[in-house]
Amino acid sequence: MTETENNLKPRIGVFSLTGCAGDQLMILNLEDTLIELLSKFDIKSFQEASSYSENTNLDIAFVEGSVSTEHDLKTLKNIREKSSLLIAIGDCAVNGCVQAMRNKQTSIAERMIDVYGVEDNIYKTFEPKGVGEYVKVDFEIPGCPIEKEEALNALISLLNGDAPLIPDYPVCVECKLNGYPCVIIEEGKPCLGPIITAGCDARCPGLGLDCVGCRGPIKGETNAKAELEALRKRGYADKYIINRLRFFAGNFDDIQILGVKENSKGDK
Amino acid sequence: MTKTLIIDELTRVEGHGGITVIIDGERVKDVKMNIFEGPRFFESIIKTVYYDKVPDIMRRICAICTASHSLASIRAIEHAFNLQVSDQTQILRDLLIHGETIESHALHVFLLALPDYLGYPDALKMASEHFNTVKAALELKKAGNIIHNILSGREVHGMNERVGGFSKLPSERKLENIREEMLKVKRTAELSVEMLAQTEPPLNINSKNIFMALNPGEKYGFIGDEILISDGSAHHINDYLKIVKEHTVNYSTAKISTYKNQPFMVGALARILLNRNKLEGTAKSMFKKYHTLIREVNPLSNNLAQAIELVHSVERAASLVDELLGRGLREERLPSVNIKDARGVGAVEAPRGILYHDYTFDKSGCIVQCNVITPTAQNIANIEKNYREVVEALIHEEDDKIKFNLELISRAYDPCISCSTHVIRVKN
Repeated sequence: MTETENNLKPRIGVFSLTGCAGDQLMILNLEDTLIELLSKFDIKSFQEASSYSENTNLDIAFVEGSVSTEHDLKTLKNIREKSSLLIAIGDCAVNGCVQAMRNKQTSIAERMIDVYGVEDNIYKTFEPKGVGEYVKVDFEIPGCPIEKEEALNALISLLNGDAPLIPDYPVCVECKLNGYPCVIIEEGKPCLGPIITAGCDARCPGLGLDCVGCRGPIKGETNAKAELEALRKRGYADKYIINRLRFFAGNFDDIQILGVKENSKGDK
Repeated sequence: MTKTLIIDELTRVEGHGGITVIIDGERVKDVKMNIFEGPRFFESIIKTVYYDKVPDIMRRICAICTASHSLASIRAIEHAFNLQVSDQTQILRDLLIHGETIESHALHVFLLALPDYLGYPDALKMASEHFNTVKAALELKKAGNIIHNILSGREVHGMNERVGGFSKLPSERKLENIREEMLKVKRTAELSVEMLAQTEPPLNINSKNIFMALNPGEKYGFIGDEILISDGSAHHINDYLKIVKEHTVNYSTAKISTYKNQPFMVGALARILLNRNKLEGTAKSMFKKYHTLIREVNPLSNNLAQAIELVHSVERAASLVDELLGRGLREERLPSVNIKDARGVGAVEAPRGILYHDYTFDKSGCIVQCNVITPTAQNIANIEKNYREVVEALIHEEDDKIKFNLELISRAYDPCISCSTHVIRVKN
């Protein structure tokens, strides 16, 4: 490939903060198109896939993982400075994901004692947050993990200079389009579909399961109180529902206020 | 004169880790595998969660071994509540784990480890001269993902495997798809063994290792309740805390594990060495052909052991499909669970080695205590031992050569660093 050809390609980097690296893995899971797709970009950094890395300006940075340590924050700020577009991929980067489920509920000291047996914050960790808490984010692709088709479509849109399209309606819409029976009304299960961002094609209802909320609540439109009320009516205890609501939404204000400490027991 | 060698960030591994080596004259003064992946405190945040969704949270410890985590979690819960599962469920779980092994080993062997063997920084650059190999490797990886998708609901963090069984059974047609895929990729799995055997880079190491693996029962597999150790002893998984001793260190968010104060090794090499008599078919004959390259003293042999497991898992997945179709799939309702205050331990051979989940529940079925020990955390002490050995052997060589060898060792263990950072000591 000639230098000029390479110069025309968008320079991208894929970066990872604290998480399971599942969003990078979903990109690598695009096996059928991977080689062709990645050849459209000038990849400057992709830690999980390559030893090659260049600390340079980027057209687009993809960031997965939550900001959980000083190291994460420093890395993130460096990425932001060097990148024209910063795209948060996956729930960890969008809102903190499962590791944020106890935010404002248990302290880091309590967690340190539980896991490492010491109270001191020796790893300089803080409550996990999405990257948008600290820097400007241009687009967010939700999911734990991201849907690979959604990632592919986003990459193609970006190549063409378009913004990636992310649904702003709940999982219920896709559930209805598939003609599945309502998991709450007809099956009485504690489904979170009404408040969770669509884009998964209602995968769990299709498997006979209730939505646990792995794409995160719809930002700005989460009616957590109504969800709590709907599940209460079907006999679920507050403690159980609040734990469920927190799984993927520990950083959402209207869910946090439901999660008072003495209510945190989760039995049905 | 003191000299410090630092690798800031290991690449082509899952998660964030580095290496520090301090050399004092002719002597290696200190070696550290630094893990700076942020801790996520899974064992703490899971407290008070009702058992039914515990596996759905705990599997998110890791993307690449998500099914291993979910099955270890499910089995811990089933052991706590004395729940038996059907033969059909056990076969489907076996099939799922073989799928995960194929996906994970294909990614590691071809796309993360092999570039070192052939001298490329990554698989994409390797593809410029070995296009067909990389293409075939992606097909093999995808075949593992197809199993994962069909049985678990998606490749990463699926939901379909539950406490007691599976929520939705796969159709017979989809099972047939799995068999067809396995036949298509069989040759690629064999190619992985041949390529690694032909081109292994020299690594000057002669390490005495202790190995540990689960006893999979009659057939070579990844699920079991007994720990086998290369000193000849065998132990029930309920006693794992007596076998695996952990301590916290300030330079790493993962804990360090030892057995009788010695480092030990888990993973494909340990499994192949301890369960070699259970290999069948092509995997058995390839093991025989290349057994001199599978050396207890050289961690690079773990790559080859993974490749042989790839061959095994591809064949075994096809025969498990035959078994399922031969028996005929039966719709089974998920059994009801009698919750009680109880403790249960579950273990699975994740692609990188033994994974333990240990839960204690209160009488309402919520978690009050949780402990997870991941394979990479168990391997760290042995990895550091190998670092020391290789630096001692190469002490007069150029820094770059030493660094390359350190990375080679790291990758041979296929470390899963995000996995390893939440390893807990159960409070006494």
